[in-house]
Amino acid sequence: MTRRAVLICPGRGTYNAPELGYLKQHRPQFGSVLDGFDAQRVALGQTTLSGLDNAERFDPNVFTRGDNASGLIYASAFCDGKSLQDDIEVVAVTGNSMGWYIALALAGAVSDQDGFRLVNTMGDLMQRHLIGGQLVYPITDENWVVDKGRQHDLLELVRRIDTKMGHDLCLSIDLGGLLVLAGNEAGLSAFEGGVPKIMGRFPMRLQNHAAFHSHLQTDVAAQGRARLSDIVVKSPDVPLIDGFGNIWWQDGCDPAKMWEYTLGAQVTETYNFSKAIETAAKEFAPDIFIVAGPGNTLGGAVAQSLIGCGWKGMQNKADFEALQSETNILVSMGRKEQRSIVL
Amino acid sequence: MDRAEIVHDNFLRRVAADDLPTGAAPKAGLDPNMAVEVFRAQVTSRALDRTSRRMQKEGQGFYTIGSSGHEGMAAVARALRPDDIAFLHYRDAAFQLARADQVDGQTMTWDMLLSFACAVDDPISGGRHKVLGSKALFIPPQTSTIASHLPKAVGAAYSLGLAQRHAPEHRQLPKDGIAVCSFGDASANHATAQGAINAAGWSSVQSAPLPLLFVCEDNGIGISTKTPQGWIAASMKHRPGVKYFEADGLDLYDTFAVTQQAAAYVRTRKKPAFLHMRMVRLYGHAGPDIATTYLPKSEVEQDEANDPLLHSARLLRDAGALPLNRALEIYKQTQARVDGVSHEAIKRPRLETAEQVMASIVPPSRDCRPSNGVTTQARAVAFESELKAQSTPQTMSRLINWALTDLMLEHPEVVMMGEDVGLKGGVYGVTQKLQKRFGPSRVIDSLLDEQSILGLAIGLGHNGFVPIPEIQFLAYLHNAEDQLRGEAATLPFFSNGQFTNPMVLRIAGLGYQKGFGGHFHNDNSLAVLRDIPGLIIACPSCGADAAAMMREAVRLAREEQRVVVFVEPIALYHTRDLEDGDGAWMDTYSSPEKRIGLDEVGVHGNGRELAIVTYGNGHYLSRQAAKILETQGIKTRVIDLRWLAPLPKSSLLDAIAGCDNVLIVDECRGTGGQAEGLMALFVEEKVGNFTRLVAQDSFIATGPAYAVTMPSKDSIVEAARGLLKRDEQ
Repeated sequence: MTRRAVLICPGRGTYNAPELGYLKQHRPQFGSVLDGFDAQRVALGQTTLSGLDNAERFDPNVFTRGDNASGLIYASAFCDGKSLQDDIEVVAVTGNSMGWYIALALAGAVSDQDGFRLVNTMGDLMQRHLIGGQLVYPITDENWVVDKGRQHDLLELVRRIDTKMGHDLCLSIDLGGLLVLAGNEAGLSAFEGGVPKIMGRFPMRLQNHAAFHSHLQTDVAAQGRARLSDIVVKSPDVPLIDGFGNIWWQDGCDPAKMWEYTLGAQVTETYNFSKAIETAAKEFAPDIFIVAGPGNTLGGAVAQSLIGCGWKGMQNKADFEALQSETNILVSMGRKEQRSIVL
Repeated sequence: MDRAEIVHDNFLRRVAADDLPTGAAPKAGLDPNMAVEVFRAQVTSRALDRTSRRMQKEGQGFYTIGSSGHEGMAAVARALRPDDIAFLHYRDAAFQLARADQVDGQTMTWDMLLSFACAVDDPISGGRHKVLGSKALFIPPQTSTIASHLPKAVGAAYSLGLAQRHAPEHRQLPKDGIAVCSFGDASANHATAQGAINAAGWSSVQSAPLPLLFVCEDNGIGISTKTPQGWIAASMKHRPGVKYFEADGLDLYDTFAVTQQAAAYVRTRKKPAFLHMRMVRLYGHAGPDIATTYLPKSEVEQDEANDPLLHSARLLRDAGALPLNRALEIYKQTQARVDGVSHEAIKRPRLETAEQVMASIVPPSRDCRPSNGVTTQARAVAFESELKAQSTPQTMSRLINWALTDLMLEHPEVVMMGEDVGLKGGVYGVTQKLQKRFGPSRVIDSLLDEQSILGLAIGLGHNGFVPIPEIQFLAYLHNAEDQLRGEAATLPFFSNGQFTNPMVLRIAGLGYQKGFGGHFHNDNSLAVLRDIPGLIIACPSCGADAAAMMREAVRLAREEQRVVVFVEPIALYHTRDLEDGDGAWMDTYSSPEKRIGLDEVGVHGNGRELAIVTYGNGHYLSRQAAKILETQGIKTRVIDLRWLAPLPKSSLLDAIAGCDNVLIVDECRGTGGQAEGLMALFVEEKVGNFTRLVAQDSFIATGPAYAVTMPSKDSIVEAARGLLKRDEQ
């Protein structure tokens, strides 16, 4: 029997030390594709993905840079997404943040090489300009239940900080149980000074992350559009769910509008990953949610998003764990023990 | 074979075989991608219809009136803006689905399946009813099969213009929005529909801004009764003030183009238009209705042959927007997708307890900007010379007028409407000078149609106003009461508290007008209001109470979003004396801050032998009777209920505590009157010795016998003595 799946592509921050060497496993099947990616990087004077992936040790200063991380994550997720077992029918594809670019490629809206060029270019632009930054702060309790009051208060704080002279701060990503905020240094610092430190690490700055999904990236988006104007975009082969929770169907999709979104609102406005997962669940009711690798950090956000919209009656972490042990509704391909479920 | 399956098979077979119905070529205007989106909404609507029938067969769904044949409404939606408030016909799933495509992050397949399943998660009604509706899509829920949503659509359209002049704090609708309402050809015959269309034209010819699009979905039949050929066109083409448009509802291109023209006319000219769309009805009226039992099979098959989805497939192909194989693929994939999602939707919990069902009868409160009250200067300007008179005793009529003036001064969102409320100042002068003080846009002289008055109020309530409509006489409410019972009172219930239409409906009523009017001006039954869940009925009996209760009524509407009916006893409007020349029924005007709360009853006297529980004119007469009873040595107290629904049970029981005997005096008829509820309460609460004196089950006569069927001072005395068995001593 076919398993109906929604495929979810990861964003930045998912290729970390444990993922070093992740691409090697795909080399036998996707050698020529990966060679193409490397060729693009060589032409730009960048270290090849193979070179990075084969490095002896994970140097955060190198690997978290946008111009390196983006390509590595794209290549890993793309190959994962293309490796699924035959009985899996992908009914929709979505992604988190940069994962949208990967989703475009996996849904066939752009070619694998153009998708890589898109992600590599945007990663490079982000790194080059590194305008502002991002931090994360949790809004759930230990049971993964969103504290609506805290969420409201935090967003109100963000709004207030943003109105101050010289301060920029806004919601960058609605990421399940986490708020990802984007802002300039003044805005981020004001937030850090205005909230209690929790779990020993939050609020947590994201190294080498710019203020993605905020108006601060307006110029970067424009540069991206200028540099990538020749990329061929077409209607997807499977439905795509974007960061507003909207569906781009195979028929009736206007590729120009999709491109406009990709290097427009997608870059400069809040990315609502929680909503994308909600749409995926409610409009497609898949048997399984598959998070492509690398890494496994997005799985929690997917689970929390499903809990947030009450999917299958889930209200908290325990509900999710019960359902997960029963049905494996969520598979993170970045986790070895789960990978075999779909590969 | 089930007609739904026949239609389904027809689509699969005919599209695959390129055997499509003929028709006009696609008109220009609809972008190819949008045309495909419209088609997908149509197909999703169809899939939902089929799924709803399956769900019902499996005992998992509870509603099967579908939209099949009416999928052209998807193109109507796309020609409008998603914030154009839409009061929809129950066959308009395709409209809602197409509108959802215009708003980010909608999950309408899931939402509508939850509605079929009556799941608690249903985002519009919380599992109370299968209704179309969405807060995000500006679609208030409707259950109407009789076009009873049309008067409020007129009101909502009126509110758009009014909000330009007086933007209410809780404004809901955009400045350049329009209102749209849709209904079937059979419902177009309903008096409610006719009244609404008439009211729109009446307003339009007087140049009142009224941006409203009526959409008549003409499938030629109402359940089993056919609409005469050409009837809708003939009766609607030449309505004054309402421009007529005509579209082929089977043709998404034509529908889109004509709706665009109609909407542009409505939006730019701020005038109503009537869009007449040809449709077909597939599958009969609802699940159990089999059209072939009353229609020749050939006619049913003719409609099926003109399935709008088949026409869409043809048109999309001819426009180069979508090849037939893709149309077929979209259809199949959508059927499978909707079917798959439905299996999750039916697992969601349903309402189980009365408490859950009733949770949204009373709407949620809303935060209102605090007011600093009205400045002395503003009051001086408004009241002019009357300011001085406020320190001297006045009649109820005058005190209500002043209370309304202060409320309108303080709250710019308060708007009045009714027959003769403006220029004339009301039949009994209660609203005198209000139009002069606040202008004709806030004190609206309406046409003579109670449904339209209430519809106007409901529509204004949808857009953040606090309307105070007036029904001239209680008996006139009856031709319009569904606007309260079926519409205003149910809106929070069916929308899980998301949509509200707060108002204070003033009704002059009850009996005892000496020699004037007979029954139609002295109606003494409130039965039609008493049982409406969530409705508040206020009935003051003197001026001081009336002013303080009016302030509370407006607070209840403004802050708690309640629908309040404020029944003003006509016979007491100008009453000055309790007994000849004593001036005891007049009061000085209280401070505008003084209110009488919803649960507060009035207690007069502290006698322990007899408590008379009454209201309105009954209170007045009981006070007269109490004087006599006191002279006869019967220690009496008189309790004025003030609030008739919900009954102020707790404060009433407190008020009668310690009294040996209770006499209920109810000027309304014995059957269905307040006394019934009070008797039941006293039995349940094991109150000791009690009885009731009520009006006869009669209509009111004109002339000298005007009061003989109702309680009188003497009959109250007699009833009290009887209760206390004094006549036997």
